[in-house]
Amino acid sequence: MANDRYDTPKKKVSFEVRDLNNFVYDMSRCIKCKGCYWVEHTYMPGIKYTTRCPSGTWKEFDSYQAAGKLRIGLAVAEGKFDWSEKLLEVIYADPLCGACDVGCKRNLDLEIGLSLEALRIKAVKDGAGPMPAHKKIAKNIASKHNRFGSPHENREKWVTKDIKVAAKADVLYFAGCSASYTNNEIAQATGKILNASGTPFMVMKDEWCCGNVLYSVGMIDEAVETAKRNIEAVRASGAKILLTSCAECYRTWKVDYPKMLDIDTADLGFTVMHLLDFADKAIEDGRLKPAKKVDLRLTYHDACSVSRLSDAWRPWKGERGWMGTIEPRYKRRRGTEGLYAQPRNILGAIPGLTVVEMPRIRENAFCCGAGRGTKEAFPELARFAAGQRFEEVKEIGAEALVSACPFCKNNFSQTAKENGGEVKVMDIAEVIAASL
Amino acid sequence: MAIAKEAYKALESLVGSEFITDDPVLCEGYRSGPGGYESATGYEKVMTKIPGAVILPRTTEDVQKIVKICNRYKVAYVPWSTGFYGPRSHCHVENELLIDMKRMRDFEIDEKHWYATVQPGVTYSPLQAECLKRGGYVVVGGGGAQVSVVANMICDGWSPLSLRIGFPHRRILGLEMVLPEGEILKMGSLAVHDDAFWGEGIGPDLRGMLRGYTGVLGCLGIVTKLALKILPFQPEELKPTGISPNTGLALPTNRVKWLNFQVPSKEAETKVMYEIGRAEIAGAVTKVPLFWRAIAKAEGKEEFWDIWGKESEETIKNFHIVRVLLIGYTSEAQMRYDEAVLNDIVKEVGGVQRPTKPIDQSWIKNADSAGMWLMCGAYVSVDYVIESIPHADTHGPTYAALKAQYTPPFMPDYGDPGWTMVCEAGHQGYSEYLVYWDPDEDTNPVDQFYVETSKMNIRDRYYTSLLASHQPLYLTGPKYGPNYHEWLLKVKGEFDPQWVCHPPVPLAHDEFVERAEWMKPIKDWETPEKFPIPE
Repeated sequence: MANDRYDTPKKKVSFEVRDLNNFVYDMSRCIKCKGCYWVEHTYMPGIKYTTRCPSGTWKEFDSYQAAGKLRIGLAVAEGKFDWSEKLLEVIYADPLCGACDVGCKRNLDLEIGLSLEALRIKAVKDGAGPMPAHKKIAKNIASKHNRFGSPHENREKWVTKDIKVAAKADVLYFAGCSASYTNNEIAQATGKILNASGTPFMVMKDEWCCGNVLYSVGMIDEAVETAKRNIEAVRASGAKILLTSCAECYRTWKVDYPKMLDIDTADLGFTVMHLLDFADKAIEDGRLKPAKKVDLRLTYHDACSVSRLSDAWRPWKGERGWMGTIEPRYKRRRGTEGLYAQPRNILGAIPGLTVVEMPRIRENAFCCGAGRGTKEAFPELARFAAGQRFEEVKEIGAEALVSACPFCKNNFSQTAKENGGEVKVMDIAEVIAASL
Repeated sequence: MAIAKEAYKALESLVGSEFITDDPVLCEGYRSGPGGYESATGYEKVMTKIPGAVILPRTTEDVQKIVKICNRYKVAYVPWSTGFYGPRSHCHVENELLIDMKRMRDFEIDEKHWYATVQPGVTYSPLQAECLKRGGYVVVGGGGAQVSVVANMICDGWSPLSLRIGFPHRRILGLEMVLPEGEILKMGSLAVHDDAFWGEGIGPDLRGMLRGYTGVLGCLGIVTKLALKILPFQPEELKPTGISPNTGLALPTNRVKWLNFQVPSKEAETKVMYEIGRAEIAGAVTKVPLFWRAIAKAEGKEEFWDIWGKESEETIKNFHIVRVLLIGYTSEAQMRYDEAVLNDIVKEVGGVQRPTKPIDQSWIKNADSAGMWLMCGAYVSVDYVIESIPHADTHGPTYAALKAQYTPPFMPDYGDPGWTMVCEAGHQGYSEYLVYWDPDEDTNPVDQFYVETSKMNIRDRYYTSLLASHQPLYLTGPKYGPNYHEWLLKVKGEFDPQWVCHPPVPLAHDEFVERAEWMKPIKDWETPEKFPIPE
């Protein structure tokens, strides 16, 4: 390398989200190409549905897109701003859906998603964050071990008599708060799918919330405690596979836990798997046979946490030097490991279904706007984002909107109701179960 | 910082509180740097300011009223579409109003007369997607698929697909513009009726006022509507394929294909380009900087340097590749004819075909400008010119020789002469010279190099597109005019007597040189004691 004429000093840096200064480089190299905001140009569908950033589409000032947020983030790192209501809105009115991260990483090696997470952690450390609605969730998790504040003893009520749960098995199904309390239909469908495939599964002896919201809003200390407790519980159970039906739980276990604990996803001691991956494999190897006809014209919504946000975590620390190159080398997480093909394979295998795609799919999907603490703190943003998505659903004439995340399902269900209830909103677990 | 309260209230009453802000947090989001096109330069550090307020108009009438309020209260303003075009399109004075045009995204295609009418919030890839659906295409400029069509067309607008039609402003048909004091100017056929089909229009063609050569960066008004010529393409679908970052348009190779040819010398490269133009075949032809090839191959920054680090002055000097896009515009038979002619041309110079994927990753729909920042973190195209093929041929190597004196801080490029292509069926040659550097290095030489290129162009008698708004006007104007600068300033004074529209453009680079201490040693041209800018 002909860099001997340059004497750029090397700087120690890591991808540790507790320190915003680790991402000053990334924030300062944003070029305002707005790959974070637009649908990737190759896939640009036309004059409609041009963006994939819910926050930046909701409030049209650039400051709500990653390009603006990174400049604001840099000013925060420099201590230029006191925390204000507007600053907190910019940082928290955002489902952290990862569209900006994969958009940026199509061309550049900048860690946008981590920068935005680090900003929230700093907000909490500075005593400004999270938002009041988030504090309420944290309180619920601390006292009742679920984000709703429902009685803890109700957690396993989803297990009905027709679902066989083993005392000991290789597969541990982690239902998560939503499927345990508000969306039993998803947990029950998942249980039936596992049973139908002949896969014995167990549940946690005492399941607690995964802590998705805690990490997502920057409450890192509380989130770390949750992560340690949950990982220990799975290791103690002897499970080889931790299976989720919730996209947010999936990302939390697969990505956020190792990130917080500074380990590789591969070193968790068990495999984190989403129902999508399980069902796809089970259908492929014949363990699961979706033989029953389901007459429905549906479309699939790629939930962020099973798609662009779900690349395995690989910790990194090292040095940055000449031209911003880093050593040791790092394989960037560009969203390519997402479960894009699996849901489409599954739906394609179910007789009777007509699957129609929306204009924005896979890594270009427009987030429903509910996840990572957004719906609780900024319900108007969640409503706006779901409304945007519904425009697509109506345009393609789908009868049902299917996702693999209870956050998406609940948010879309509310929008469906407001739109006259003509579009059915379902989780993919329900669709699979209906075909068995 | 904020604009005067009375002015703010008047503006707020116009658009509503949802679409205007002077909150310092939101205004910070509109900071020019530190990254981006031409950022990490002294110009960006010295000349740009965070806006005092940001407003988002929806209609031409909104823009008119905003401009009139600004004139009444003497508030400086700058029109702003996507913000990609670096510091020169950002605020330059304190308490300036940034007029963010992104809500103005009306769009219409006249399928009978083959033109699209767009507002400044419409970007290229959506427009191209709509054109492709109808069997047409537009030239997505090198600025990228993400830029505003209006902003790009009034500044730049070139791409390898300019082979069929050169000067971008010829594709601008009817146009509507709010002048600096709020009057509406309509150009082309829009001047007399609602149909924007014709660019020349009635009376003198005023499109030069938009562009000079490459645009006056919003210092002479705000374009609110532009009609753009759509060109006929071919009927087969170009299907998007792959998962980011490895995406592209799958090409129907019976009608569209990219071909790469390695030729033995620079002379052969030029001859191939010239003959392609002369034979009137192909949809695009280009020779790109060789490190672009390394960007395309590399998965990340470090891998780029692994690949590029293997090159040397010798390998660069002896590697000549011409990239050609064949399009069967009218039929498969035409495509076959073009390919046969192309093969003959290449054979004649001793060229050989290299493997090419049946995919378009950049140029047809996605002009991939963002990749330019992968290797260093800072980038600007320091010059781009359309003149003749011989002009383009020598322009790049001259730049490379000057650049070597400024490397570092520029990245080592081993004398690569930049980007050349042929436009207007060979009647024009295009040369663009690009520089890259690490913003963490001492960047003063970058600023000095920039101005030295002007002196070099003057000395070596090269024409340059970056006369006015990108270089000191008092350096370039007398040499290229001899009174270019006087005319430009007269036009500015006539249309914007208070200089509220993006001041101090077109004297911004002159101002920069005056303010930046490190530019003093190279300032050897005359300027007036006081610039003719009203207080």
